[in-house]
Amino acid sequence: MKKTKHEVIFCIVNAGFSETAMDAAKEIGARGGTVIHARGTANQEAEKLFNITIEPDKEIVMILVPAEIRDNILHALYHEVGLDTPGQGIAFAMPVDRVVGLSEPPVKKPTE
Amino acid sequence: MANETEKSRRVSRPRRVPRPQTSNEPMPPKLKILITVVNRNKAEVYLALLQSFEINMQLAMAAEGTADTTMLNYLGLTDRDKAVIFSVIREDKEEAALRYLDEKFRTIKNGKGIAFTVPMTGVIGVAIYQFLSNHTEGRG
Repeated sequence: MKKTKHEVIFCIVNAGFSETAMDAAKEIGARGGTVIHARGTANQEAEKLFNITIEPDKEIVMILVPAEIRDNILHALYHEVGLDTPGQGIAFAMPVDRVVGLSEPPVKKPTE
Repeated sequence: MANETEKSRRVSRPRRVPRPQTSNEPMPPKLKILITVVNRNKAEVYLALLQSFEINMQLAMAAEGTADTTMLNYLGLTDRDKAVIFSVIREDKEEAALRYLDEKFRTIKNGKGIAFTVPMTGVIGVAIYQFLSNHTEGRG
C-alpha cells in the first residue's frame, strides 16, 4: 500500500468533452482516468438572468495524479475545457491518503 | 520609554484561553471515502467484499476507463466498461480494507482495479454518523 503524495482531480465537463479533458491531462503526465456520466443542476433563474444555457448532460472525469503535477494539470484543464470554452468545465483536486492498485510507471530509458 | 512600548505591546497581545476540558472520552473515529474503480462485471464482487469492513453505505455507478485503446489491445483488455464504488469507511478499518483490496486486485481474474481513500472533514447528524461508522454500542 502506498502512502505517497497523490491527489484526485475531478473535472466536470459538458457531455462529449471528457476526451478533450483527458488529452489535456495526459499531455502533462496523467496516465489514465475514469469517466462518470452525470447530470448538472443549474439554477434556472440564474440561467435566465445571465442569458446562458447550461447543458444538463455532464461527464465527471476522475484522474488520480502525483501531487507534484496537480497544478499543471489543473491549469491545462482550465485552458482546454475551462468555463470559457465549450466544455464549460470546472476542475478541483482533493487529497488522497492511501492508494492501492497503481502499476509502477514505465522506467524511461536514457536517450542517446 | 522603552519599557512603556514593551508594556503596551504586552497588553495588546491576545491572551491565550485554555481549552476547556469537556470529557475524557476518546474521540470518535474519523470517516473516509474509499473510492474503488474496477471492471463493471466485477462491481458486485467488490461491493460484497467491502461490506465485511463494517461499511454500511456504498454507492456504485457505471463509468468508462480512458486508458489508451492501443495499449489495451496489446494487453488483451479491450473492456472499457468500469464501475466506480464510493464507500464510507471508518479510519481504523481503512488499512485492512486497502490491503485486502490490493490482494484481490492481484488474485481475482479480470479483477484489476485501483482504490484510494479521501478524508471526510465533516458530517452532520449523530444518527447519520453512527450509521456511517457502524456504531452499534448501546443498541440491542
